[in-house]
Amino acid sequence: MKALKLYAVGYLVFLYAPILLLPLFAFNDAKVISFPLSGFTTHWFTEMTKIPALYAAFKNSLTIALCAALISTILGIFAARAATRFSFAGKGPIMGLIMLPLVLPDVIVAISLLVVLLQLGIALQTWTVIMGHVLICLPFSIAILNAAFQALDRSLEEAAIDLGETRVSTFRLVILPLVMPGIISSLLIAFTISFDEFIVSYFLTGSSPTLPVYIYGQFRYPAKVPVIMALGTLLVLGSFVLLSIAEYFRRRGIKRRGGQDTGGFL
Amino acid sequence: MTLSAPRPIIALRDVQKYYSDYHALRGITAEIQQGEFFSLLGPSGCGKTTLLRTIAGFEDVSSGTVHIDGKDMDGVPANVRPTNMVFQSYAIFPHLTVAENVGFGLRRAALSRTEKAAEVDAALKMVGLTGYGGRAAHALSGGQRQRVALARALILKPKVLLLDEPLSALDKKMREQMQIELRRLQRQVGITFILVTHDQEEALIMSDRIAVMFEGQIAQLASPQQLYRRPISRQVAEFIGVMNFLPVQVLGENGGRVQLNVAGLGACEITAEQCPSGVQIGAASVGLRPETLTVLFEGEVARGRELLGRVEEVQYFGDMTSYEVSLPDVARPVSISMRNLVGRQVLERGAPARVAWEEGALVLFC
Amino acid sequence: MMQSSLIGRVARSENLRGWAMVSPTALVAILLLAAPLGMIVAFSFMTDGYLEILPEFTLENYTKAWADPLFRQILFRSLYVSALVTAATVVLAFPIAYFVSFHVAPERKSLWLFLITIPFWTSYLIRVFLWKVILGYSGVINSGLMGLGLISEPLTFFNYSVSAIIVTLAHAYAPFAILPIFVALERIDRSLLEASRDLGEGHLRTFWRVTLPLSIAGVVSAVLIVFIPTVGDYVTPQLIGGGKIPLVANLIQNRMLDLDNKPAGSALAVSSMVIVAIISVAFLWANRRYLRVGR
Repeated sequence: MKALKLYAVGYLVFLYAPILLLPLFAFNDAKVISFPLSGFTTHWFTEMTKIPALYAAFKNSLTIALCAALISTILGIFAARAATRFSFAGKGPIMGLIMLPLVLPDVIVAISLLVVLLQLGIALQTWTVIMGHVLICLPFSIAILNAAFQALDRSLEEAAIDLGETRVSTFRLVILPLVMPGIISSLLIAFTISFDEFIVSYFLTGSSPTLPVYIYGQFRYPAKVPVIMALGTLLVLGSFVLLSIAEYFRRRGIKRRGGQDTGGFL
Repeated sequence: MTLSAPRPIIALRDVQKYYSDYHALRGITAEIQQGEFFSLLGPSGCGKTTLLRTIAGFEDVSSGTVHIDGKDMDGVPANVRPTNMVFQSYAIFPHLTVAENVGFGLRRAALSRTEKAAEVDAALKMVGLTGYGGRAAHALSGGQRQRVALARALILKPKVLLLDEPLSALDKKMREQMQIELRRLQRQVGITFILVTHDQEEALIMSDRIAVMFEGQIAQLASPQQLYRRPISRQVAEFIGVMNFLPVQVLGENGGRVQLNVAGLGACEITAEQCPSGVQIGAASVGLRPETLTVLFEGEVARGRELLGRVEEVQYFGDMTSYEVSLPDVARPVSISMRNLVGRQVLERGAPARVAWEEGALVLFC
Repeated sequence: MMQSSLIGRVARSENLRGWAMVSPTALVAILLLAAPLGMIVAFSFMTDGYLEILPEFTLENYTKAWADPLFRQILFRSLYVSALVTAATVVLAFPIAYFVSFHVAPERKSLWLFLITIPFWTSYLIRVFLWKVILGYSGVINSGLMGLGLISEPLTFFNYSVSAIIVTLAHAYAPFAILPIFVALERIDRSLLEASRDLGEGHLRTFWRVTLPLSIAGVVSAVLIVFIPTVGDYVTPQLIGGGKIPLVANLIQNRMLDLDNKPAGSALAVSSMVIVAIISVAFLWANRRYLRVGR
């Protein structure tokens, strides 16, 4: 099984190749993104802070990602709860529709939404982007929350009701604390997805671009690319931290229920 | 039952339950007395858990009524019914400590913090978990979880405690210990216990009365002794212990005596009390428990009547031996269980066996 | 009948509570997803006016689209690229999923999965751009190989080419392929493998006769979850191919927005989705039929 392990390590190298290159170019003292590297500099990082458009795009993305994460997690809680707790007619089709963006090309989601907005004469604004992001994040939120709700023993709820609690107070006292780790990882994952989302933003953004849309625009100017590499390094670090926190909460959720860890996200 | 004036704490009248087209409960009528240890016994899928859950309020009845302490429970939700439940999985809240679990139901009680703590301590003491209050719930063993579930349900002093297969997850030793302890606890608190179980031995050991259920109906509701000695049907007899069945011709009935001609055993006479399902002239069957038959050894004399058979199979259990003995004119061999007393030999396969039996042990199924 | 009305009451209450619970999410999905998709379908059957869409039924958008050799060429290229990406991704992913499921200690499995998913969550655009850097004319691979003296001039194999698009997409969709296969492998009862060994099969034959058939369901979902979205990928051809190798998503965008012919663009979108749906269903059917994959 040595060969298999070697293959696995090689595969990880393949997966991480682009990410590992990122800091190399971010600290490279050259305007062109190519080898050989010419020298160490932090110039691109200081340069980055001097671009107001970048700052504006960052702030815009932050607002959108926070809203999208919150909305998709709340909507995800409803859907996951319904899917795991009740059997109702038409459950398959409606859950299929909600999960559809997971396989539907993002372009289709974006363009169809755009066409409707144009048709209705609604101007593209921040909230139109948020709407699109919610659609994209929702399947991921539901996948995470489904796992959290699924692991919930139904008799825990019944025990709380048996001991005198109402449905509402049972949700607050028993269900919510037990699925809280799932809610937190859903928030973090949805935030990460929305923050990184390009296609939907690209089609639905009005006058103020999101960070990925801004980055996309900068790729046209080779001179601007080193700054983007610096920005990308920070973004990778940022999402690594967020995902580690998400993973920590996911594991804590499993541990808290005394369960067995069987896998990662999705 | 040693109650002076029994009054029903639970009265079920013609309770029916449908799940879409599945008829789970088919007209359950029964009364359960205050202070009784009552068991619902039956194979899986017989509706015993559904019945328990309709009493708890987790399932609506499709028709019929459930009265608890004289009050109709129609439309009364589970959280306000005077019942508490010990779940099969125990349903210990994994995010709370032992003490928080036990005190869960006291949240709405008009008690001070110290009063609540005292109640929790008393409940923990009652189940033998003094000092465990601060532990995390998920770190407990199976037996300890069960005790926490009991303490949590009993702290609210319910009128009825419902137990859904509470011992099935425990190993054999622990189960036997908890059987004794549950019975002791029930006597101590004086609360009516309703136990759901598929384990006939468990039901016999613990209960004042047992309702045996098959396919959504109560087949027989009686005391353990009555159930074992005078089962109302072959189905009940087979579910509780082992019974040998022999074909019989019912010849007649007069003055409380019933005349039979049993295949292999010949003509005999039994009392009406031995006919729990009534008497009908014609073909029927009789049952004999294995321990009411005796293999006679050298020099022993039958108290009742005697036959000569042949040992077909021997199963040695240590404390006892079970024989399959073929009798003349009986199609299937009968089971006979014998205690392995000092000096008593174990017969071998193929050996002739003198078999003694008594008319008083027969049960007639019409 | 009293009984049947009671059944109805019970069924309704469960139905009602389920729908009440799912309704906020369902409403959002219907308004923001189902309705716009329905609108695209409706548009594809309407006539394009100059600045508006005339509600006159026509099949012309479809006949025009399918008569257009450019559309056929680009759609075929998209399907071909997706098929290659899917094959590459799934074939590369299987050994990894197998390794993590069978040869990684249980307590370290989630660490491996975490490591595998991390790159997926990090800036998509920048990742795609860096593949261009790696595979490009003066990129990492070329300068590396030249530095080692293995080649004398840069390989042009990957420049702005379909193969570069395939490598990039295979990288982007790696976790989508690994996770379903991993889940299927995890579900295999390990005693089945022991039983096969006990019955005289070696490691390889056991893999072939037990492990692989039992994990086929995971492979099938991996194939679909990679194939369907990659057909509609927009960014990679734009960034890697420099816009020179458009795929169907780029064409739809062009017709819909640049040329502002929404009915024509809608017809392209609907046609592509229908083709993809037909291929997926045929793939599922073939698996059911010949490999007996099912629930």
